[in-house]
Amino acid sequence: MQGSTRRMGVMTDVHRRFLQLLMTHGVLEEWDVQRLQKHCYKVHDRTATVEKLEDFINNINSVLESLYIEIKKGVTEDDGRPIYALVNLATTSISKMASDFAENELDLFRKALELIIDSETGFASSTNILNLVDQLKGKKMRKKEAEHVLQKFVQNKWLIEKEGEFTLHGRAILEMEQYIRETYPDAVKVCTICHSLLIQGQSCETCGIRMHLPCVAKYFQSHSEPRCPHCNDYWPHEIPEVFDPEKEREASISKSNKRSLRSRQH
Amino acid sequence: MPRGQKSKLRAREKRRQAHAETQSLEDAQATGAAAAAGESPSSVYPPFEDRPQNMPAAGTPSTPEGPQGTTNASAAVSCTNSDEGTNSQKKESSKSFKGTEDLRRDPLHMKVALLVHFLLHKYQKKEPITKSEMLKFVIKKYKYHFNEILKRASEHMELAFGLDLKEVDPTRHCYALVSKLDLTSNGTMNEEENPPKTGLLMIVLGVIFINGNCAPEEEIWEVLNMMGVHAERKHFIYGDPKKVITEDLVKLKYLEYRQVANSNPPRYEFLWGPRAHAETSKMKILEFLAKIHDTVPSAFPFWYEEALRDEEERAQARMAARARAAAMASARSRAMASNFSQAT
Repeated sequence: MQGSTRRMGVMTDVHRRFLQLLMTHGVLEEWDVQRLQKHCYKVHDRTATVEKLEDFINNINSVLESLYIEIKKGVTEDDGRPIYALVNLATTSISKMASDFAENELDLFRKALELIIDSETGFASSTNILNLVDQLKGKKMRKKEAEHVLQKFVQNKWLIEKEGEFTLHGRAILEMEQYIRETYPDAVKVCTICHSLLIQGQSCETCGIRMHLPCVAKYFQSHSEPRCPHCNDYWPHEIPEVFDPEKEREASISKSNKRSLRSRQH
Repeated sequence: MPRGQKSKLRAREKRRQAHAETQSLEDAQATGAAAAAGESPSSVYPPFEDRPQNMPAAGTPSTPEGPQGTTNASAAVSCTNSDEGTNSQKKESSKSFKGTEDLRRDPLHMKVALLVHFLLHKYQKKEPITKSEMLKFVIKKYKYHFNEILKRASEHMELAFGLDLKEVDPTRHCYALVSKLDLTSNGTMNEEENPPKTGLLMIVLGVIFINGNCAPEEEIWEVLNMMGVHAERKHFIYGDPKKVITEDLVKLKYLEYRQVANSNPPRYEFLWGPRAHAETSKMKILEFLAKIHDTVPSAFPFWYEEALRDEEERAQARMAARARAAAMASARSRAMASNFSQAT
């Protein structure tokens, strides 16, 4: 893209509908996005060939660029699923949340975010977050209310909860990476492989470098003896599988077949 | 009491927003820097490396429409940043960015873009938009340019997203975004697209909640009339409001509409339908009402307590469901394991 004259993309109702639906869902996995794209063509332009998703999205982004908006692609940190969301490029901080939450709720999110970034695992326990309730700016919040606010964050896809601990939702990472890197430049962790923000991942016990789980999976694929790319020491963690959308679909199909078999037996 | 608290909060908010405002300009081009640095190829701004930092003033109209004029601004951003390179030199580049003529010539463009972001966010949440919200969160000190900013933002919404910004309630300056693309010939809901949680439904659910979870029809119409929605009058968004709330939303199971027991002549009342209970909650509706009145849910302590109780019950129901599912899963796996051992 360097140096080439930028061609302004053309927006049709196919693209507009795609944007509307993508926004309605907030964040979508890649196979969902592909399905959505096909649906939009079906509704507005049956005869046209469905453009390759990457080109389709680049086309849209070239039009939205002047509004500081883009469709951003990311990867979930825990299992490497590709996800897409419409994000703002020129806003500060958590301003998308600013109009949805009160001052003390936003501060609760900030506190949770700090704990998550500082943590070793990328997770902050509910207890630790709630203990900070007295330090919040704005109206005083009880712990009971704070629990409810944390659930609101989960429902709105800013946080994920696992067994009483909270980490950032993939959507939040997509939207806030810039803000996080600017606000916590010293505390922030970065993946050695992809250089993006790292919240959850594996680290080398000798030299301390970190990698996302999907980055580990790809880097050490078919390596019988995984070694740290930086210090060459043995990589001490279990290597996860590379995310394969085809395998995933087969697994879900066979699961539903088993279910229907079982029901037929009764 | 609340009033004193509110003005304190507002003053603090103003101070924070004023600080955030000056930050946002610096951050905007810093974000541009990261984009230009090439982390995600699809977001690279055009790197016109040979352009001088101060763009020539000739030829560009004072209020450039569409991407043409704004390309200059973003190109200026990327050109200062691609020279500087990395994020760490943000401080230097912010000074040169503020010196760029283009944004000075069109300072409104940033506000237009931010308003578009805000409108999209509201669309995503299926909430109506009030003028006061727009002024408070986006426009701020540019309030005398509100109409122009709004007009330009609406044009972008239409061209890029196919969304029409319509004024729903002229007295309270309440707007809604309506898709220009939704008009299917037979009017049925496509399976890909979510059923509309229109502002109308939210208001009705709110009135029902506030009336103790059951509201007489007269009460509903009293509130809707204040918003300019009348039973006998055709509404340019809702069409036939009476049909919408007494038939359409009932059929979709969002509302229940029943005759008041032993009423003669027959009177009717509304309750939440099962789908409303499933898809929203008392807390969400209370938040919606609070926002319309420019306050927070806890300002209505009586309903806030009820909403909190409702949230707790839902959480407990979720945990119970999860426990049941886990128990069933382990029972199933035990059964499978025993089958396997029998087979071998």
